[in-house]
Parts: sequence; structure tokens; C-alpha cells
Amino acid sequence: MRKLRFFLALWLGKCARIALRVLRRNATYFPGVVALKVCPDFLGQVGKPRDIIAVTGTNGKTTVSNLIADVLTDRGYKVLTNRLGSNVAAGIATALLTGSTVFGKARYDTAVLEIDERSSKRIYPYVKPKLLVVTNLFRDSIMRNAHPAYIAWFLEQAVPRETKLVLNADDLISCRIAPENDRVYFAVDRLKTDVVECINLINDLQICPVCSGELQYEYRRYHHIGKAHCKDCGFASPEPDYLGTDVDTENMTMTVRDSRGESAVYPLLSDSVFNIYNVVTVAAALREFGLSHAEIAESLGKTKIVETRYNVRQAGKVRIVMQMSKDKNALAGSRAFDYISQLPGEKEIILMMNCLADQRHWSENTTWLYDCDFEFLAREGIRRIVCTGPRARDYYLRLLLAGVPEEKLRCTLTELEAPELLEYKPGESVCLFYGTDALDLVYKVQAKIARLAEEAAAR
Amino acid sequence: MTIEILYPEVCNLYGDLMNAEYLRRCVPETTVIRTSLKSRPAFLDQKVDLVTVCSMSERAQILARDALKPHLEALEAKIEEGLPFLVTGNALELFIREIQDADGAKTPMLGLFDLTARRDMEKRYNALYLGKFEDMDIVGFKSQFGHAYEGRDVPPLFETARGAGRNPGEKGEGIRYKNFMATYVLGPLLILNPPFARYMLGLLGEGDRPLAFEKAAMDAYQLRLIEFRDPKRGFTYG
Repeated sequence: MRKLRFFLALWLGKCARIALRVLRRNATYFPGVVALKVCPDFLGQVGKPRDIIAVTGTNGKTTVSNLIADVLTDRGYKVLTNRLGSNVAAGIATALLTGSTVFGKARYDTAVLEIDERSSKRIYPYVKPKLLVVTNLFRDSIMRNAHPAYIAWFLEQAVPRETKLVLNADDLISCRIAPENDRVYFAVDRLKTDVVECINLINDLQICPVCSGELQYEYRRYHHIGKAHCKDCGFASPEPDYLGTDVDTENMTMTVRDSRGESAVYPLLSDSVFNIYNVVTVAAALREFGLSHAEIAESLGKTKIVETRYNVRQAGKVRIVMQMSKDKNALAGSRAFDYISQLPGEKEIILMMNCLADQRHWSENTTWLYDCDFEFLAREGIRRIVCTGPRARDYYLRLLLAGVPEEKLRCTLTELEAPELLEYKPGESVCLFYGTDALDLVYKVQAKIARLAEEAAAR
Repeated sequence: MTIEILYPEVCNLYGDLMNAEYLRRCVPETTVIRTSLKSRPAFLDQKVDLVTVCSMSERAQILARDALKPHLEALEAKIEEGLPFLVTGNALELFIREIQDADGAKTPMLGLFDLTARRDMEKRYNALYLGKFEDMDIVGFKSQFGHAYEGRDVPPLFETARGAGRNPGEKGEGIRYKNFMATYVLGPLLILNPPFARYMLGLLGEGDRPLAFEKAAMDAYQLRLIEFRDPKRGFTYG
């Protein structure tokens, strides 16, 4: 009976996938929903690739899992991924049923799966990764994720004992999970931009996690990320097995040195600190998987970051900078604001990170605005900021409180009106911050910016 | 004016800290004291006009409770004297009798108010909030694992119009005893509610001060009020 139910789930899931693809609809979630509905332990019964690399964490998991899959594919591996779809249980079920035969046997030897932290308990009892990469744990959606210690607790309860962990030594929250599991650590060496005192609103580790004593940072990258020790009990950041060092953002390279004494020069994909971490993370994960530094570095050189997250194009006499900033995520906003505000030259900005899905049914919980460092947008070089979308008035107020002068601010509830409120001064950058759930609208706004920029250039 | 923020190194979630900051923006000469877990609260020994306690993790609830416990009698006396407190989010649970978890575990809290929180770490309650404080409309957000029950004799802070009160079956929300104000509504409550911020300034003897960025705050408040009153709008996040 159990087997029959599984096959019914598998075939219904496969049929749903075919039907959705014929209809040109997204087939990366619903087939898994069907399969799990019919057979709740579908994930346990479906065939799984022999080697699974799972990637989880608050920020960077999509980029890191895509990069790992790209490198493995470039090295000749046939890799099953969930890259185009959902990272919750139904998405993983969809990926696995897609990667299985009609009899439910795995068609792949290797999988790279991005897994939502909050879905751990539904996935890891059945899907036991060879390697689990945890990029970091930060404050995320207040509604799903509460606070980082809660997510660490969630992972802690679910991570399979036999899984080897690849952890961020610079994150004293995530690097402490499941202490009985085999593990390696990665870190990024001291950078010129490091500080000691936290300048961010979010700082989720201000006391020693062991004894509640005083934490002393040797250096801090941002928020709670950095190298620290407890003055009271001696607790300290673990020594990294993989260290990113000699970061050269002019030549876009970095050396990754490992505890076996091997090292290699890696290409950087962008000069943002987040992407420096992404490269070290990928290097650590794939060295543990069995590739050599030379193989990883060579294949990484052929990859690039997904363009929906960050891209730059010229329009008329301005550069249009598109920067995704996950909605309702204060940390993502802080990192994006910090990076964009330090780009050279003058900038005009449109903020439209509204969560439109929430707005359709409820009203977005905007408390995250007051955890997010909007203060970075008060830096010199930013000439104008247009707040738009249903929460435009909340952004406007937040920016005033962040110290942005009123004369620099504009506000409209209608997104497509926002480009009209910019000036398009030759040589400047027009930066558009947007969330993850309204890409069609974002592209329309981007197209209007481009048209107005070209018209301004022609005048 | 002096505002004391208790234990900001652990009680700092969801933008709650901005309530004190907003009052400081309204009264720029305000002194803000940030008292750490290892320090003696300033309000015990010096004139403090307002004490705030913000949302925190479950571990932090234990740390904050333990830090306040040695001063319980003095804390109670200060509340009786009418010292204003603004306690937001799950910081409310510090001051009640106990927290009962879904697995049966019971965690005694400070016991100043006869309420029991029932908490289920697998179920997060996420909702909008619309209520009344005196004649003012209050808008806000809730995101919590627990609700407070019993406490028939504990006066509420807000009267709920939409959303849950101290628990989904109760209209009364939070605790108001003299000038002690606690609410599960979290985040920058005063920024979201300029009329309530004005009330707080009055309570603190600064009623003649204009609110910081009053027009912008009122514009955002009024738009939110329209949304929250819309009967077609969902109130509990699915």
C-alpha cells in the first residue's frame, strides 16, 4: 500500500510537471505539492542522488548553490538542482521527482540543493546531504524566522548526524550548530574596510553565546560577522580550514589558503564583501567534495552572478544599476544600501522593495525598516531618493529619521510614476532597489528609466 | 528627560529600540541610558522618566528575567510610584507569572502581573493589529510564539478592534497599570502611532514639543489606518 501510494504520487507529480510545462507555467513547486499530498513521506521514498550538497543560510544561499552547481557542471558532472524553483519541501520534492525515473530511481549521481532553513525539519529526515553548507544566519523575515537563534535551533534539531558541515567561522551564530557533526570552517581574512565596533542597527550577537560575558571583536566586517573572543570564558571564533586572503578588488582576485597547506588564486565575481564570502564558501565546499583548487578556480572564472540580482547597463548618459534587496529583510537592505551608496559618482535612487504579495492580501509588516540601515542612504553622493509603492510613505519617514534631508526626497505610491521624479544628470547612476516578488513591475520601471534617460540625453 | 533602555544587548529585536530614539528626536536634549545585563538598572538610584524594554529571543527572556530578579521589590515599588514603562513585544512576558511551553515546560517569570503565557515555538502568530488607546486609534503588528491568558484583574493597555488581544479570544491587549504599559504589539510603536507618541510626550512632561517629522508620520499613519480598517483586508497572515 505504501509503495502504491508512492508510485501514485510520483506519477501524478510527473504528470503535473508535464502539464504545467505544456502550459508554459512554472513547474518547480506544484508537482512537489501534489506528490507530498498523496504521499507524505515522498521525500523518503523517492530515489536520491548519491552525493547531495545542500546549501542553507540567511543570505547567499542561492548564489552559492548556483555557483557550486555551475562549477560541477563545468567539470563534467551531471547535476540535479532546484535552481529555478522553490527551496522548501515541495520544491525539493519537485527537483527529486524530476531527477528520477518513472520507477522512482535517481537519474543523477550528484545534486546541489538550496534548502530553506525554516524547512529543515521537513526535509533533512529524508534527504541526508553529504555536505551541508551554511552561509550565515542573520535576522530575516520576522514572520517566518523570528530571530537567528530560533533558526539555529531549527537547524540544530534537523541536521543529520552523518552530514559534514561547511560553516562560516566569521559567524558565531551559525558556526556553532550541531557541534557533534564533522565540520570544516571557512573565513575571510582581515579586510581594509573592517571595523571593531558595530555600526549597524542589527547586531545579533553582542554577548558570549556560552557564558553571556563580554565579546571582544578583533575585527568586524558588518553586523555580528567578524572574529571575536569572550573576555570572560575564552570562547572564540574557530580557526578556519579555508581562509580567503589577499583580497584584491582592483584585479578582482583572492587567494584561498587551506589547512592542508594548499592555496590558489580565485577570481572574484564582484567586489562586494558578500560575494567575497560566496567565493570562499564555494571553494571550501568543493574542496571538501573532492575537486582541486585549480579545478574550482578555473571553472569559477567562467561563471557570473545571476543578473536578476545585480546588473548595470548604460542608458543615455546615465548608468542604470539594478540591485535586488530581498523584501522584508533588513539585513539584505543594509548590505545593499552600504554597497550602492559607496559606488563612485553621483547617484539617484528609487526604493521599491515593497512586498506586493503581502500587500495584496494583508499589509506588509514594516517593522524591518527600523532594523535596516537606511542611514547609509544619507551619505554624500546620493542626490535624490524616490520612495514608491504601497509603503512609500513609510520609506519616506524612515529616510527622514535616517538623516536624509527632505529636499532630496520624493514620494509616490505609484511605481511607474517614480522614474519621472528623477533628473538623469549626465554621468550619474540611477539605482533601483527592488524586492523579489514583483519582477515584472520592476522591469517596466527599469524600461521607463531607460527611456527617460535616453530622452534626457537627446535634449 | 532621561530614558533608560534595559538590556539593549539582548532586547533589541524588530525595531523596538526606535521608540526611545523617536522620543529623543522629539526632545533632543534627552539622555538615553543603555543598561546592560551586568549593570544595576539606573531607575533604582536616579531620576529616570521612562524605562523601555524591547522584544528579545527566548534565551534573552531568561537572561533579562535573571537580571531584574534581584531588584524585584524595588521594581514593583517604582511601578507603584507611577514610573512610566514602555514594554513591547515578548518583553511583556518578563513581567507575568510564567510561560508555559507546548511541551509542558514551565518557566517562572517575574510574577508582577497575574498572567500566564502559553507558547508554541512551532506556531508563530503573525497579524496586523487595530485597537484603541483612550480615544486614539492604534495600528501595529504582532509576530509572536505566545499569547497571555487568565489575568482577569489585569487591566489592558489597548482595546482591540481587529486582531488578537492578549490572546485571540480576548479584546483587551497588553497591560496598563498606572504608568506601566506593556503590549505584544511590537516594533516602532510610537513612530507608527503619532497620536500615541504625543500622549507619551505629555506623560513625560514634554507635551508642548512637536513630534519629529510629524507630517510624514501622520501621512504614513493615516494610510495604514485606512488599510487596517478595510474589512476586506486579511488580518492574520496565512
